[in-house]
Amino acid sequence: MAIHINELTYEQERFGLQAADVGIPKGKMTAIVGRNGSGKSTLLRLIARLTKPDSGSIQYEGEPGEAYDRRTFARLVSVLSQEKGAMPDMTVRELVALGRAPRQSAFRSRLTPEDDQAVDRALSVMGVRHLEDRLVHSLSGGEQQKVRIAMSLAQESPIMLLDEPTTYLDMSHQLELMETLKRLNRQMGLTIVMVLHDLQQAAAYCDHLIAMDDGRIAASGPPREVIDRRFMLSVFGVVARIEFGGDYPVIVPIPQQTEEENKMVIVTNVSQITKGNGMKLIERFNKVGKVEGMKGFLGLEVMLTENTKEYDEVTVSTKWESKEDFQAWTRSEAFRESHAHRQTPDYILSNKISFYDVLVVRKPLDLEEQTEQAEQQIV
Amino acid sequence: MSLSLQTRNSRRRWLGWLALPAAMASVLYGVGSGSVPLTVTEIVQVLFGDGTAVHESIVWNIRLPRVLVCLLAGACLAASGALLQGVLRNPLADPGIIGVSAGGGLAAVIALVLFPQFGYLLPGFAFAGALIAALAIYLLAWDGGSSPVKIVLAGIAVNALLGAVMNGIMVLNSDRIQSVIPWLAGGFSGRSWPHLQFMLPYALVGLALTPFAAKTSNLLMLGDQSAQSLGQHVERQRFLIVALASLLAGAAVSVAGLIGFVGLIVPHAVRLFIGDDYRFLLPFSIAGGAALTVIADTAARSWFDPLELPAGILLAAIGAPFFLILLKRRRLLR
Repeated sequence: MAIHINELTYEQERFGLQAADVGIPKGKMTAIVGRNGSGKSTLLRLIARLTKPDSGSIQYEGEPGEAYDRRTFARLVSVLSQEKGAMPDMTVRELVALGRAPRQSAFRSRLTPEDDQAVDRALSVMGVRHLEDRLVHSLSGGEQQKVRIAMSLAQESPIMLLDEPTTYLDMSHQLELMETLKRLNRQMGLTIVMVLHDLQQAAAYCDHLIAMDDGRIAASGPPREVIDRRFMLSVFGVVARIEFGGDYPVIVPIPQQTEEENKMVIVTNVSQITKGNGMKLIERFNKVGKVEGMKGFLGLEVMLTENTKEYDEVTVSTKWESKEDFQAWTRSEAFRESHAHRQTPDYILSNKISFYDVLVVRKPLDLEEQTEQAEQQIV
Repeated sequence: MSLSLQTRNSRRRWLGWLALPAAMASVLYGVGSGSVPLTVTEIVQVLFGDGTAVHESIVWNIRLPRVLVCLLAGACLAASGALLQGVLRNPLADPGIIGVSAGGGLAAVIALVLFPQFGYLLPGFAFAGALIAALAIYLLAWDGGSSPVKIVLAGIAVNALLGAVMNGIMVLNSDRIQSVIPWLAGGFSGRSWPHLQFMLPYALVGLALTPFAAKTSNLLMLGDQSAQSLGQHVERQRFLIVALASLLAGAAVSVAGLIGFVGLIVPHAVRLFIGDDYRFLLPFSIAGGAALTVIADTAARSWFDPLELPAGILLAAIGAPFFLILLKRRRLLR
């Protein structure tokens, strides 16, 4: 393990992060994934020691982070943060040379031949050697990102952290960047840890995933073991079909059959009936009738409970678009007629009417069925 | 059109060769101009002890000390501005933003208006006021850590407050502000050896420390997180650089009054030619600020003879349009 996280906690006003035992394998590519606000960037910043945890510790190469001073730590771990604002008016070579800072004495800024070689190597590996004389801000976004990574490479630290390196890049540059990182990992043995937005990308290129959900580590392990339908639903809130074709997983999100938020009023009429007479009441209800035609009527359910000892219980619940619609029904001719001339039967022990304002957020979800449906649609 | 490192380096080289002669030339211009013009030979004669008594007196007692004060003040202001623009990551930063001008100004007004009997202590008052204001701004911006934006915002607020107090004192004592106005406008009229003596130690210490800030300034430009992950102690270094900038600007303000323009414009003009690399930006800004201030002061006192303009006014009047032209031509320069 290149990095090991022990019982880390970090609390902020509206956000807390807890990470129990989790390791980041040495010489591998690890992606931290999760929804927006799940704490993945915070975790990376904690690993980068840019923020201090409230408790717990992180070990790097077996040593706790506190054992390193800033400069020795920078020689072990390089960080490519998301700070985009600062692109000084410098040439590519000058900027990349700044990556040598942790390997120079505090005030020395003249480059040694060794520094120059490291800068050359970093430029070549990232394929930006031909740009070395260009001004950084005259480059395209993709080129700038490569230059920034070259700066991290010039640091020659065995562990490289990147915070969403592919954001702001178009698809071809994203792929190119991921391929380059993979090459760095395979050829130079760099341990790479990055926050990625795109799970598919993460699964395709990384050996190890750490999934964050609401400030906690929801799962960690190789993509093949970690990613399944349940994972997709719990971590990303997405129903998806997943296929591993070779190393590349195919994750097809399936639009959920959710309805838009719906408001309704449910009126329940619960009656306790002398034992054995429940069906009588239900038959009687059937005659009340004509409710189906009313404005705002959404549905009717009649339930009979027979397993209590003293009495049966009949629940009639009607669903309405609004309370007014229900009241309109109670004032209707049909309703009055059915109630007016009848005595309350003596088998009704008690009777209770309740109103509920209900917000339907989502219809119950049948994962398997929906997936099948969607698969059929795709086929 | 793109500018290569080679072009830039060659530009740095010839500007480097040009900087010292330019500064020397500005000194000669400064010492030579005035109601009694002196030729270069005459100046050299005086410097080697061969001049006439009148020339000796003019050079040693009047012009040379004043030119040296200009030289130092300009160098300090430009260095201070360059450092602040980098460490605050704000192109509009100048020594004024960290309260040096307002703090120095208020202290000077208090000294001149309320305690005129201590007028000779003016540089000391202004210097102390400048540093206290800078420290106050830093402390106000501190919230478990500093950030460039907070420093700039605290600076604006403190500047407004100090400015209000200063104006209040001036309005209430309007009969006694005559002596303050030239100082507030910024200039070098009547500056001589005592002034030089006062600022020299601070200015020299400050200028001698700037090379050590170059590398850190380069890294801080990248942003706090990036600088930290390159092994920098961001908070500590930011404080030290702001302190250094305050020292430099305080030294200049104490004798020259409120000259705001040099610190803002000179570093920018230099950037346009040689880029943001502080290893080059700082020395060139120092040379440029020094030369420009000497030239401006000399022009301000000789062009309108027998009247004398404060150098700060001339600097702004000529420098601002010049700078705008530079900005417009920015593309060509790259």
